[in-house]
Amino acid sequence: MTEILHVRDVTVRFGGVYAVQNVDLRINNGELIGFIGPNGAGKTTLMRVITGIVQPQSGRVFLQGVDITDKATHLRIRAGLALAQQIVQPLRALTLLDNVAIACGSDKTRHALKSMWVTDIRSERAQARELLARVGLSHVVDELPGTMPLGYLKRLEVARALALNPRLLLLDEPLAGLSQKEAASLADLIATLNADGQTILLIEHNLREVMRICPTLYVQDNGKSLAFGKTDQVMSDPNVRNAYLGVGHA
Amino acid sequence: MSYEITLMTTMAISVLFALSLNFITGFCGQISLGHAAFLGAGAYTSAMLSKADVPFLFTIPAAAICAAMLGAIIGLASLRVRHDFLAITTMGVGFLFVGIIRQQDFFGGEIGIAGIPSSGFGKGGFMLICIALALTFAAFSLYVRRSWMGFVFKSIADNEDVTRVLGIDVSRYKLIAFIIGTGTAGVAGALYAHHFRFVGPDSFGFVESISVLAMVIVGGIGSVWGVIFAAALLSVLPMLVQFIDDYKLLFYSGLLFAMMRFSPDGIAGLCTRLFSYIPRRVPDNGGNNR
Amino acid sequence: MLYLELFIQGLVQGSIYALIALGLTLVYGLLRILHVAHAALFTLGGYIGVIVTNATGSFTLAMLVAMLVVGLAGMLMYKLAYEPLLSQPPYVSLIASIALFIASEEIFRIAFGPYGLSYQTAPLQGHIELFSGFYLKYAEILVMGLSTILMIALAWLSMRTRTGVAWRATVTDPDMARAFGVKIQNVRYLNFFIGSSFAAAAGVLVALLNNLVEPTMGSVASYKALAIIVLGGLGSIRGTLIASLLLGVLESFGTIYIGHLLDRDAIAFAFLILVLMIRPQGLMGGKL
Repeated sequence: MTEILHVRDVTVRFGGVYAVQNVDLRINNGELIGFIGPNGAGKTTLMRVITGIVQPQSGRVFLQGVDITDKATHLRIRAGLALAQQIVQPLRALTLLDNVAIACGSDKTRHALKSMWVTDIRSERAQARELLARVGLSHVVDELPGTMPLGYLKRLEVARALALNPRLLLLDEPLAGLSQKEAASLADLIATLNADGQTILLIEHNLREVMRICPTLYVQDNGKSLAFGKTDQVMSDPNVRNAYLGVGHA
Repeated sequence: MSYEITLMTTMAISVLFALSLNFITGFCGQISLGHAAFLGAGAYTSAMLSKADVPFLFTIPAAAICAAMLGAIIGLASLRVRHDFLAITTMGVGFLFVGIIRQQDFFGGEIGIAGIPSSGFGKGGFMLICIALALTFAAFSLYVRRSWMGFVFKSIADNEDVTRVLGIDVSRYKLIAFIIGTGTAGVAGALYAHHFRFVGPDSFGFVESISVLAMVIVGGIGSVWGVIFAAALLSVLPMLVQFIDDYKLLFYSGLLFAMMRFSPDGIAGLCTRLFSYIPRRVPDNGGNNR
Repeated sequence: MLYLELFIQGLVQGSIYALIALGLTLVYGLLRILHVAHAALFTLGGYIGVIVTNATGSFTLAMLVAMLVVGLAGMLMYKLAYEPLLSQPPYVSLIASIALFIASEEIFRIAFGPYGLSYQTAPLQGHIELFSGFYLKYAEILVMGLSTILMIALAWLSMRTRTGVAWRATVTDPDMARAFGVKIQNVRYLNFFIGSSFAAAAGVLVALLNNLVEPTMGSVASYKALAIIVLGGLGSIRGTLIASLLLGVLESFGTIYIGHLLDRDAIAFAFLILVLMIRPQGLMGGKL
């Protein structure tokens, strides 16, 4: 199995507080890992370290064996990361189709000056149409995001991330704010993507869905790694139960 | 006839200047309150070269390069600040430009540079040059709007952070918008210098920067046709309403306020609403052009 | 001795800046509007100050009337001009505000003439000699004294009264304050009232220092105050006060020592740009 992501001994402090402390995480090709932990566990911080929005005080991040710790966000994306954000952020002036098409055109947007000489967008639109169909949005491709319900926008986030053709897909609480039914169907979609070979790191609070679709769990608490392994083993780990029950989560 | 030529020349220069700001603010979403500084950089470059006997046409690229170089420096610095901080930083650049020009004898100081040689093409010929340059840049703007670069600009104007997460080098794109926009303002400056045959620090201050931003916003931010129309209209409005001489600025500001209050998306937005009863076709290239 | 004199001059100017910029910060903190027309209210204050003093002979009365009337004018401006634009992108209210400002300059010019007004018998024009060769005008002492008193009064109001606590909470976190039952609308009116009346006080004081009000007296205030609130960190009251005094003193020294290179405004903005390159969020601004 090839290793896609390796977070090596990463520490992040905000002021005197450790948000993430000596964390190690490895993700192999084809895995679907559920990343859970109570509020304040440092999940979002670790995600931001991976995407380059937060710089760690120590430790390195490797993507497919390449050290990306000092690279700017857009270069990490080009190196094979993609992120669907927790708070949906569609480009409000663009249709759903173009929201995805712009991500499909990453070859055309790589060099700013060259992008001036290219106007053809047909193949990207066609590709975007397929991706939107894949996440179940083919009936609203020409709508503007402003008129769409949250469930659709969550799917749009996923489609846009997929459009980047990533080696590793980072999903930050894609199920948050959705009804049980919507959440289950989006979780099914995530499982399908993984079955098709997509490597995914899924941060999620919805334990029920995470346990249902993720074969592997990674648990963090108070900024430290707590457990990593097969889902049922991790969930029976007394430390994990403690962390959750201790702060009132079921 | 001479009056009409002056009017048309003024319009063409304003259209070019407004479109240059539209490239930065309208397309790429980077607000600027100091754009007149780049008009000034171009105007001073062209004026001083002309006085040193360089032919008018050669001063145009020189003005563009000089303004664009200044623009690149300011652009690089501006990458660090965003939104309202950017607006005030660019405003500061405007004051800094005027402040430096004003204190240097080299640039003619407070008095400015008078007696700039004529373009050598006659009034009519000069007007045609101005119109040709304005139209060329308008066509270029319309083209860029349809290109992938325009697509990315639109995305940056919409949400910079998201654009970055799509793997796009936002800084690079912003810098290009800045360089093209300021360079074009420099061209407008060269025309300005040879139109009035005089440049002084007061011609490129805060008021000028605000006026040109008003043209872009009244036209409808990002809309090339709207900006052309608004720039042509607003630039000659003071001349057209000479008969209410004492109240013309009040009239102008009242109009500006009414526009923002009742049609914040400018003339372009107004037209869209007026014609919205015409059934909308699904655009074959929709979304990334206007 | 020159240093001390420049320093005091800087503080006087800085106090005026502080009074003007405070209102701008209050408006920005709550509404995210760059309120250029604030300078129009400053000018209005100056005009009312001169007119009422000349009519009644009482400078104190003039100050109070100016602060009250301009405070109400500020609320009216919010109601008529800004409230309808809150849902629009920020540049819309910015341009609307600039338009209002230009219109007001024109109205002052048309109503009171282009050359402005002066006090018939200007109050507080005498001076005291602090030590040999160093004079301070009464008006200058008043500027520093009154600004300090107004700031302290505001601080007291915001710390010690229920309204003040609700007000601070709203400026810090509008959504949270709303959840606790604070009427945001009222806080906005309060902000405009306080901010505008402080600007009026500054207008009256500037009129006193120069013994002149003119239609264009607000133009410096319109852009310099923006620079100050950005320097202070947009929305930070403490940052605004520090930035005001800092800029006042800096300009005062700068015009003497580097005045041949840059004029007063350029010095201020050069400093602003320098600070923003090092701290893009301003002196006291939080992380963006």
